Amino acid sequence: MDRFQYLLLMGACVLITLPLELHFGARVWRRPRRLVLSLLPAFALFVVWDLWATNTGTWDFNPDYTVGITLPGGMAIEELVFFTVIPVCGLLTLETVRGILQRRDVR
Amino acid sequence: MPIYPALAVTAAAVVVIVELRVLRSGLFREPAYWISMCICYAFMIPVDGWLTKHSAAIVIYRPSDTSGIYPVWDIPLEEYAYAFALLTAVMLTWDRLGRSVTSRTPMAEEATA
Repeated sequence: MDRFQYLLLMGACVLITLPLELHFGARVWRRPRRLVLSLLPAFALFVVWDLWATNTGTWDFNPDYTVGITLPGGMAIEELVFFTVIPVCGLLTLETVRGILQRRDVR
Repeated sequence: MPIYPALAVTAAAVVVIVELRVLRSGLFREPAYWISMCICYAFMIPVDGWLTKHSAAIVIYRPSDTSGIYPVWDIPLEEYAYAFALLTAVMLTWDRLGRSVTSRTPMAEEATA
């Protein structure tokens, strides 16, 4: 079970931010096309950076806490999940705060 | 400067320059952005803290490539610049794509979302 630690952490990030979409009306998951296109440029750049940093040894991934599927050089497949999940959490936060501030201003 | 802080600060600076010189979305003048970043940093502590904790690290850094400065838990200082670059880049792209849809009226976005 320890090998799923990284994935479970990412799963927890999705779950904990889900109410922002469902109850606070963030409308991020509900715009899948815009969401995917928004993630792509940063995803590409940060994955290239990650591959390079893993290959040169700046960072490495603990085999005890990752599922063991790696990209060339040893970059954990979980990193691809990270570069998807964390930005989504950021967008959900931004849209939720915007919504709250707008509703407050309207009143 | 070690390679990781050098690249993280560069990435953050590039994002700021792209916004101020190219995109000019006004995101940095929006209170919602700064409030959101504070919230994201607050949640970064447990999440990134769990990834980097020295007692059972999921991500292991080569010490000579990092700043060696850990303001909170075992999270390297440069990780905050890294997070700024990643989150802000995605927010700017999100707004840019939204603008192309909403440039006419706010209602247009609801219709096409």
